[in-house]
Parts: sequence; structure tokens; C-alpha cells
Amino acid sequence: MARPSRTGRARRKTSRRQLLRGLAFASPWLIGFAVFIAWPVIASGYYSLTDFNLFQAPHFVGVANYRHMLHDEVFWKSLTNTLYLTAVGVPVGLALSLGGALILNRPVRGQPFYRALVYLPTIVPVVVSGYLWRWMMNPQYGYVNEVLRLLHLPQPLWLNNPAWSKPAILLVTFWTVGGMTVIYLAALKDVPRELYEAAEMDGAGPIARFWHVTWPVITPVTLFQVVVSTIAYMQIFTQPYLLAQQSQLNSANGGPENSMLSYSMYLFQNAFVYLKMGYASAMAWVLFIITMAITAVILMNAKRWVHYGNR
Amino acid sequence: MVRQTGGRSLLRSTAVTAAVIAVGMTAAACGSSAPNNSSAPNQSASTTAAGSSSASNPAQPATHTTVTFSYLWAGPEAAALEKIISAFNASQSAITVKGVSSPDFQKQLTSMSASKGSFDISDNFGNGVGSWAAKGILEPLDSYIKADNMDLSDFVPAAMDEMKYNGQIYSLPIAVHDFELLYNKTEFAAAGITDPPKTTEDLATDIAKLTKTDGSGNITQLGLGNPDTGTTLTTLGYAFGGTWDGADGKTPSPQDPANIAALKFYQDNIVNKYGAAKVQKFTAGWGQYMSAQDPFYTGKVAMVIDGEWQPVNIPKTAPNLQWGVANIPVPAASPNLAGTTQLTASTLFIPKNAQHKQAAFEFMKYLTDTQAMGDFTVALGNLPARTSMLNDPRYATIPQFSTWLQNLSSPNVHALASQPYSSQYSTDLVTDFKSVLDGSKSPADAMADVASKAKQYGSS
Repeated sequence: MARPSRTGRARRKTSRRQLLRGLAFASPWLIGFAVFIAWPVIASGYYSLTDFNLFQAPHFVGVANYRHMLHDEVFWKSLTNTLYLTAVGVPVGLALSLGGALILNRPVRGQPFYRALVYLPTIVPVVVSGYLWRWMMNPQYGYVNEVLRLLHLPQPLWLNNPAWSKPAILLVTFWTVGGMTVIYLAALKDVPRELYEAAEMDGAGPIARFWHVTWPVITPVTLFQVVVSTIAYMQIFTQPYLLAQQSQLNSANGGPENSMLSYSMYLFQNAFVYLKMGYASAMAWVLFIITMAITAVILMNAKRWVHYGNR
Repeated sequence: MVRQTGGRSLLRSTAVTAAVIAVGMTAAACGSSAPNNSSAPNQSASTTAAGSSSASNPAQPATHTTVTFSYLWAGPEAAALEKIISAFNASQSAITVKGVSSPDFQKQLTSMSASKGSFDISDNFGNGVGSWAAKGILEPLDSYIKADNMDLSDFVPAAMDEMKYNGQIYSLPIAVHDFELLYNKTEFAAAGITDPPKTTEDLATDIAKLTKTDGSGNITQLGLGNPDTGTTLTTLGYAFGGTWDGADGKTPSPQDPANIAALKFYQDNIVNKYGAAKVQKFTAGWGQYMSAQDPFYTGKVAMVIDGEWQPVNIPKTAPNLQWGVANIPVPAASPNLAGTTQLTASTLFIPKNAQHKQAAFEFMKYLTDTQAMGDFTVALGNLPARTSMLNDPRYATIPQFSTWLQNLSSPNVHALASQPYSSQYSTDLVTDFKSVLDGSKSPADAMADVASKAKQYGSS
């Protein structure tokens, strides 16, 4: 057996020193991750198997919390609400942001101003915009119904009617679609001009140019937007919480017939109002699994429609 | 023992962090040292005295203790409380109470989940006692009460029922509240009504007379409003002879036929009569409760079922309002239900993790005694929790207070149960009450839905 050479040992020593140095530099984040994310995540997995109220020692109950979900109609209601918001909010949000980006990509005078205008709502704190929208959608005095009245359209009881309360939440989330629009705008700027020129020479009109040039090139960005906004909608809390909020203290009101009760709101209710930490932990894990499954389906499906350059 | 409890404390801290991360929010961190589970009253006083004694102040005795009183009240209510705290501090030299206004339930809970509490005494609502007691958050007071020979017979019985869980006392009431029918005298006169309704049949007639619509059928004035859906409809349930917590007082009974009758009364006389959408559109335009735009103050609503704090607020906020108060109407066929009201309580409690339990109890005793209770309730316009104070002349300064005051001794005073399920039950009731108000469910279907959810509550 050959003895390791002196240079080989020195290289390994240098490489170990570099590794330790790298870990030392990364240690604040690593320690933070371990203490504030990894350990609580693992602990919540254990708590999900217990009956735990924060004040008494957790009592192991096996999969009882998970079994309880099967019979908990409010759980199903909150899950259905969340899936509805995701199923409608993600595609419509994408369409709006892409449409907006296409318009903002046109060479029009004052375009930077319009771009700033579209992005502006995203910098308004969500609590402020939530309360503003409560007033905007007030059926008696709100501007939304005033505009609908001028257009001779029906004026729904946005936050009081279960049929309209979820569209009301979506309306508020679509108001901040400017963030996604800006990402799409950057993607549109990256579409090579020569592709458009070639398509034009082949006689492609605006619609054909969009479907055969623009869309394929921006599909990686679309995939990113779909995944990120799906995760955001699956965790939606602030907008429905604010829109449905009542004067009751320490509560998470679900709106008419719990139609605005999102999964995260019900999780919050169980954890911090009913003090059912075990059940809330189990709910958190189920949400994680559902979100992971949906994301996996999206990613597997992506091979069919996402184009990465020459691949 | 220390290691075991320290481990529990670590679990608690981790659980808080885990849940917070799961929900995606931030929260205050919990403490990490071993919890103090001592429940022996005198022991805690002697051990804590040294820790908190103001040794640097020679004027104070060696056993001097500083008690932190964290309360949910704020604004003028907090100011009234601070005066009482000052009076207590001046009355003796063994205990100094430090008042902290902290109207944040989550902060209160977070503090109580730590091993060493940041306060020694605090307040809550009566129907929360059972839930917190079952979870071991509250210090049982029986041994303190016994050691002190404190007489509890003077406290309003319905309020004391809320203070107990599994036969033990976990809180004491500093004030109570009940609900009566307030009416707008100007609107009554305009509608030709001379007296407030005594029966629910009269109430139905008066609602019709006092509800006005414009040419398009839009409501411009509503005969009966509901400032708080939960209390208005549960109180009406009691007025129809119902109970919300079964005959044993600890089992949800939303489907009690009298409760259904009460909800049907509200739905028939308001929702169905004028149209759910019209009523909702009108109520959506109401101003903030107890502000100058409160619909009862502005005449948009002619009658409301509300609490005894209104006589103090109305002169300040709506001085020109001509109003009166009467007993809640009951069905003509059930005159025995006259004087029905719902009672709620403002309570004081000592958390299990308090550092100065005995001293906190001394202060609790002071607050719940007639002098301090009177000062506090008169300032806030609340009812005293002691029956001996019903004729206290101090309440004569509050206009039209006697209806609320005298009904405390009515045989028909009811309170929602203080059980572990109460918080969840209350949420579910309000959700389904709203379905009755928006006309999407019949009262029977709505209460069947609550009953179905109630089966899942569990025991903690």
C-alpha cells in the first residue's frame, strides 16, 4: 500500500481548513437554521402525535389528531376554501400579471410611470390595504359597488355573502399582482429580438408571435411564478383574516358560513385560540404534505410545457 | 424533578416556536427556567418575599413584595384601575402593586406559558375560566380562600358558577354585566308607541312599526339591531326559555327548542320580513359601536339588546339621545321568564406561573371587596359582582342603571358555561348565527350544524 504523499496530506489539510473556515462563516445562519427552523419542524412532527395545550406536558395520542381531521368539517371547509383560492387565484393572477407585463412592454411614452403605478400596490402594507378594501367593498358606501352601480351591474354583498366572499379575497390579492408583473416584464425583455424578426419574416402575426416565440421563452419564469404563488395561496392568511375580522378579540373569524376561513386561519385558531397545539401541528404537517404534492405534480408536469433554451 | 420540569419548559418553548413557524408568524419567546408549580399559598409568599424585596428602601418591611398586575383594560378604564392600585399601595406597606395595561390576549398567554410568569395577577372574561383551568393555566384559589376565611356568599351566584371548574374556584369576579333592551324614546314617540315591549309578541309589533324603508325597499331604519350577534341571540334564547349548555350546564345544547324559537323569531321578524340582502346592506353601513356613529345613537336602529356600560357612554358620546331601558321581552305564554338576562363576568385570576401568589391574592381580595369594586364599577359603568352592593348609592349617579342592577337578583339570570369547549362553541355559534341572519340556513339547520361540530370538541 502506497503511503500518502506529503503534498496530498497538505492538500487535505488545506481543504479541511477551508471547510472549517467556510462553516465558521456560515455558522450564524447554520445555528439559526438548526435552532429556529430545523428543530421546531422536527418538534412539530412529534407534537402532531400528541394532545398538547402549551401549558401541560404533551400526551402521546398516536395518529388521533390526523384521524380527527377526517371528521372535522371545519377542517374540510378551510381546506376547500384554500384549494378554491389557489385554483382560481394562481391562473388568474398569472394571466393578469402576464397581460400587464405585455402591455407595459410596449414602447409607449411615459411607460416607466405606468410600470411604477402597477408596482405601487405591492409596497402598501398588507394590513393597510386589507382595511382599505374592507371599506372599498362596503355594500352601503364602498367605491367598488358604486362603480358597479354606474355600470348597471349587480352590486354584491362582498364580505357578507358566502358566494362573493372568496372573490373578494381574490380581488384584494390581485391588487398586488404588480410583483409578478415586474418579474414577467424582466422575462419579456430577455426574449431575443431576432426570434421575433424571424417569425415576422415567416408571416407570423402578433398572436402567433406570442404563442410561438414569447410564451416558450418565458415558460421557465412562468413555472417559477406558478410554484411560488401556489405555495403563497396554500398559506394565505392575512387577506382573509383582515377582511373577515370582527370586533371579537383573540379570534379568527371565518366570515359568512366560514367561507373565508383559510387553512392557515383555522390552524391559527386551533393553536392560539383553542390552544390545541397538537392538532395545529398535525394540520401544519398535512398542509406541508399537500403543498409538496401539488408542487411535485406541477414540476413533473413542467417537462411537457417548459422550454429551457437549447435543451 | 427539576430536570423533568426543565424539560417540559423546553418542550413548551419549542412548541411555541414550532407553531409560530408553521403559521408563518413571529411571537415572543418563552422563558426557559424550571416552572414554579407550587400551589401552597403561604409558601409562595415567604419564598418570593426575599426575591422581590426592596432591600434598598429602609422604610419598607423586610417581607415587602412587588406584585405585577397585567390587565387587559386600557384608556379611561385603565386610569380608573390605576387610581385603585394607588389606593391599595397607600393602604399598606407590605405589598406594592405595579399595574401594566396590556390589552393583548396572545401576549398574556405567551407570558403564562413561560416557566416564570411576568405578572402575578391578571383579568379575563368569565366564560374563559373553564378552558384555562382545564389546561392548568390558573392557580386554584380554594386554599387561599379557606386560609383567609373569605366569605363568597355575597358574590352573584351566576357569576360564581363561571369561576368554578371541576368543583374548584379559579377566579373571582370584579365586575359583572347583564343585557337589557335599550330603546330610542324619540323614535317610539314618532311611531306612536307609548311603552317599551314586555312580551316578544309586542316586540315583533314594535319592530314592524319602527322599521322604515324607502321607495326602493331599502331599509333606512331598523326596529331591532344586534350590536353583537353572539350576545344578542344567546340572550334571546334565554328569553324564550332556552339554555345553551344543557340541563347539566356543561353540555352544548344549541338545538334546545327554545333557542330555535328565538332564532326563528329574529329571522321571521327581521331577516325574512325585510329581505336578508336588504338588512345586510343596511347593517354594513353602520358606524363603529359606541362611537358617535353607532347606529343606535344615530337613530338608525330603534332598539338594541345591550349591556350596562351604555348609560356611562351615551351621555359622553350621544348626549342628545333620548333613550330608555326595559327588561328583555319574554313570550306572553311564559310570564315566569320575566327578568331574563344574560350575565357575563370580568374576572381576576392568578396564573399558575405567578411569582408572588399569596401577595397577588391579597390584592385580589382588596379589588373584590366592596370599596374597590364599587370605585371600579362606578367609574366604568359596570355592575358590581356582590349582591350586597345592588342598592349602593354610588350607582345612583349613573342614569337609568337600576334595570341592569336590579335584574342581577332576578331568578332568570343565565350565564354561558365556562367549560373547556366554550371558546370553540362560541365561535361555532356565531358562525351559524350569521347563517340565520343572512337567511342561508333555517334556525333548525344552523343549530344542527353547531350540534354536529360540538360532537368533535373533545375534553380539552
